[in-house]
Amino acid sequence: MNDRILVWDLPLRIFHWVLAASFAGAFLTAESERQRDLHLLLGYTFAGAIAFRLLWGLVGTQHARFSSLRFGPAAIARYLRSLLAGRPERHVGHGPIAVLMIPLLLGLGLVVAGSGWATYAEFGGEWMEEVHEIAAVAMLVAVVAHVLGVIAVSLLQRENLVLPLLSGRKAGAPGSGIRTSRPLVALLLVAALAALWLPGLAARERRLAARGTTAAVAVEVGGERANHGD
Amino acid sequence: MRVAIPIAAALALGAITARAERPADFEARFAAEARTADPAFAGFSAERGRAFFTNAHGGDWSCASCHRNDPSVVGEHIVTGKRIEPLAPSANAARFTRPASVAKWFQRNCNDVLQRACTAQEKGDVLAWLMTLPAKETR
Repeated sequence: MNDRILVWDLPLRIFHWVLAASFAGAFLTAESERQRDLHLLLGYTFAGAIAFRLLWGLVGTQHARFSSLRFGPAAIARYLRSLLAGRPERHVGHGPIAVLMIPLLLGLGLVVAGSGWATYAEFGGEWMEEVHEIAAVAMLVAVVAHVLGVIAVSLLQRENLVLPLLSGRKAGAPGSGIRTSRPLVALLLVAALAALWLPGLAARERRLAARGTTAAVAVEVGGERANHGD
Repeated sequence: MRVAIPIAAALALGAITARAERPADFEARFAAEARTADPAFAGFSAERGRAFFTNAHGGDWSCASCHRNDPSVVGEHIVTGKRIEPLAPSANAARFTRPASVAKWFQRNCNDVLQRACTAQEKGDVLAWLMTLPAKETR
């Protein structure tokens, strides 16, 4: 009965890792003005990823849709009991805990991105920066909970839940999967990322080169002087 | 997290509602810190502050890289090109009025320029210099 079926479409997988990478990158570039331009690029990427996810929750494939997250408190409790009892309920798409985790992560992400943009635009003053930092730390806590939860459930269910976020495939009943990976939408997503990052990185290179050239010219002038000395 | 958020929010609120201070209050605080660090502390020097501000300290940046040699005019971020409001209190009344902001920017910028924290003596010298700068026409 259990075949490898397609569950997560390609745009959803790209979204997940782009969100994770941009969040991690933004944390790493937060403390120095030297990386302020990268921090901004990562922030726009992060905001764009969330915007895409909200849209994809409405028009994406079956398991990407928010309408698949129909779990009430009773379903969550039943699922947790089944995990603890060692007889885990299996869900092809998102499990019941996703009802809590997805809105939490996306909601905090919206606050982080919005307050970050407002801080840079000097909208709302210094308290906006506090909101940005507090929301980012809160999201980091939620991300850690998310990762620990995935590890715990993977162990309890004896099923690697991370791998399907790369391959798109999970064990499941035939017919409960999706038919297409939506490669065209994935292509559009990659194109949008390239349109943001290629000019962004080129501008960064130009600025670094402009500073490097000034230094190189100074060295050259010094070298000429040394030659005259000979 | 359920506990951390209200605590963080309370701290943030405290920072926001804190009484606005004057540049001289910061100078007095830096002086007290400098005296604690070095009993032979002999006051701040505007000239030493100017030199500290405009020189690179073995790295590629100085404070002036973004704030300009004359920080009573508008500066420009060396990486993003973003406008930076004047740093001299005479040109920008919002400067040196909020402890959280002053602490944050000294920490960030000293790390970027010196790869270490600034001492109270250095911060006081710079502030002493900034307080001597007259206001200028700013765009």
